[in-house]
Amino acid sequence: MKLIYAILGLVALYIYVSIMSLLFAGIDRKLVARMQRRIGPPILQPFYDFLKLVSKETIIPNTANFMFRAAPLLMLATTIALLAYTPLGFAPIFATKGDIIVFIYLLTLADFFLVVGVMSSGSPYGRIGASREVAMLVSREPAMMLGVFTVMWGISKLGVQKPFSLSSLYEHNIWELGPMAWVAGAILIYVFMAWLASEIEAGFFNIPEAEQEIAEGTLVEYSGRYLAIIKLAESMKEFIAASLVVAVLFPWQLDMPGIQGYIANLLIHTLKVFIVLFVAKTIFRTVTGRLKISQAVNLLWTRVFAASVIGALILAMGVSL
Amino acid sequence: MTKKVEYWVKIPFGPIHPGLEEPEKFILTLDGERIVSVDVKLGYNLRGIQWIAMRRNYVQIMYLAERICGICSFSHNHTYVRAVEEMAGIEVPERAEYIRVIIGELERIHSHLLNLGVVGHDIGYDTVLHLTWLAREKVMDVLEAITGNRVNYSMMTIGGVRRDIEEKHKRLLLEMIKYYREVLPQIEDVFLHDSTIEARLRDSAIIPRKLAIEMGAVGPTGRGSGVKDDARWSERLGVYPDLGIKPVMPEDVTGEKARGDIYDRMAVRIGELWQSLELIEHALDQMPEGKIKTFPKDNVLVAKLKILGDGEGIGRYEAPRGELVHYVKGKKGRDGPVRWKMREPTFPNIFAIAKGLEGNQLADVVVGIASIDPCLSCTDRVAVIKDGKKFILTEKDLLRLSIKKTREINPDIKGDPTPAGVGCSRGVLL
Repeated sequence: MKLIYAILGLVALYIYVSIMSLLFAGIDRKLVARMQRRIGPPILQPFYDFLKLVSKETIIPNTANFMFRAAPLLMLATTIALLAYTPLGFAPIFATKGDIIVFIYLLTLADFFLVVGVMSSGSPYGRIGASREVAMLVSREPAMMLGVFTVMWGISKLGVQKPFSLSSLYEHNIWELGPMAWVAGAILIYVFMAWLASEIEAGFFNIPEAEQEIAEGTLVEYSGRYLAIIKLAESMKEFIAASLVVAVLFPWQLDMPGIQGYIANLLIHTLKVFIVLFVAKTIFRTVTGRLKISQAVNLLWTRVFAASVIGALILAMGVSL
Repeated sequence: MTKKVEYWVKIPFGPIHPGLEEPEKFILTLDGERIVSVDVKLGYNLRGIQWIAMRRNYVQIMYLAERICGICSFSHNHTYVRAVEEMAGIEVPERAEYIRVIIGELERIHSHLLNLGVVGHDIGYDTVLHLTWLAREKVMDVLEAITGNRVNYSMMTIGGVRRDIEEKHKRLLLEMIKYYREVLPQIEDVFLHDSTIEARLRDSAIIPRKLAIEMGAVGPTGRGSGVKDDARWSERLGVYPDLGIKPVMPEDVTGEKARGDIYDRMAVRIGELWQSLELIEHALDQMPEGKIKTFPKDNVLVAKLKILGDGEGIGRYEAPRGELVHYVKGKKGRDGPVRWKMREPTFPNIFAIAKGLEGNQLADVVVGIASIDPCLSCTDRVAVIKDGKKFILTEKDLLRLSIKKTREINPDIKGDPTPAGVGCSRGVLL
């Protein structure tokens, strides 16, 4: 019985998150347009785009093999599975001890499927995009992992039910660990924002999908239904990645029992996700352009990862002292 | 010991590509992200302009010259008119020369602002694109108010200009200069100090001075590499020397020695925007009263040119993209020229940038090409590849094919399609 409720909850979350993430894409486009002194598309434009893409002809290149067709579906499936482990204002549906590892694996797996699909298309632009995507992937994740693991380790010292689970983030948070942790928290805000921007490939990090350089890189061969699925999965992934940042750094929630509590917390969480995405995506992509891949990798290792190490060390000292 | 294996891959870049404004093709040999070599393939933009021109008279060609390119329409017209004036020995009233300077510099402002926006767009910095193009609207409005058109101004005529700059236009121009003195510092700040722009444009797609001289790079591309050359200055063109023209070098803007990278080319463009504003201001001050054209009517002009048009004439002008050369050869008793040939600044520049891109990253290709502000609407032949063999289509073949196509579409067509003149001699020679 419990499992059935959990699955029903997952389906409800899937519908809610896909609508909200597409809605944010619309708000983002409108806000960017206003900042650039344009009028911009209507806020519901991503929905129209999605519906239009679904009804369009899907072209499969002659050189593509079956992974090209499987990859978008696998990517969406991974993203839906990821929702079961995402903190959305309350503990994840399938929260267990150490589920942060599953979360990180699934988050990278979604990108990995996109890379596999595009490598199977046989397009040279797609391959360049895929190689850029992989280079970004290996450079951006260590900083985030180090930050998340340190925060969770610090929280587990305060005594939680399931250590290293995303549900533990709602029992205690980083700001309860004392003044040293506040400093570390400030550094980690920078680390997580930079990671989020590179995860959703905005501004500086819009490299694998560079439109002007490699004609949308990873998406170059996809069209019609498959493109719609990828766009939906990517925009859900955006929401999920921002959810992690919110849960780690700004997890304050209402303490309300029952179904009303879940709904109220979900709405508060959505608002926080929108604010985080507004900073990491909308503002960031308005005030920056695209870097070269070598510069982006350099930035992620020498600045973001270094900051993550420093933040982790300060936090560890604050917890042990 | 294992031998290092290099995996080189050749990818086509264009003719249709989201980063390119016009159809042009580059074959890139890539080693990962590093560019090994760039091969330029031209010839996707043939309109047979020279061939069309052989069937027009001198005045009609002015309209044709204007339509070679939308952005530097005035430059083409100006250069062609200068070539004809040199050939026929026509004196131009001084006031007309000043008006030519004003329109030419207005065109330079709009062309440079356009290019600054395009470069911003090519590095994914769309805010720069939208804000520079917003600033560009002002100069377009002024051009429309003076000439009646946003592009293809039709201001030039052989022996003068068509329209005068009156008091109300003067007021508009001064107002525009005031507007740009407020807006340009912001654009300058973005292109000289913004971190993204500096990271992307500094030290990428370098054309060293030696290469620029070897390839004959002109305009902002050449000046960005440290070649002190400006047709307005070195040719002492028209009234430009009186206005205090001086080539804008990167060190005047950035304060550093020219490195020949994209950043320097953009810095030259920024400097030229300021210079153009000054030139317009001086021209408005110094402009004498008087008539604006030598021949009051076009039919008089056509008749005169039939007698005067003999020999050769070369017109040179610094178009926004670089030095533009038109060559006109006339024959007594003919309505139009027997030969009309233009050399566009993009032609040497594009080969310089192709060489300069070697060793850079793939990400630099689009922005590097945009930094020379390519304008590929040059007259060119078409290459057709059929069964692995390459044919070069000449103007005659194109004419034959278009007649065939027209017959196909509309079998009832009337009229004689055979060319009236001898056609362009190039078709015969090939």
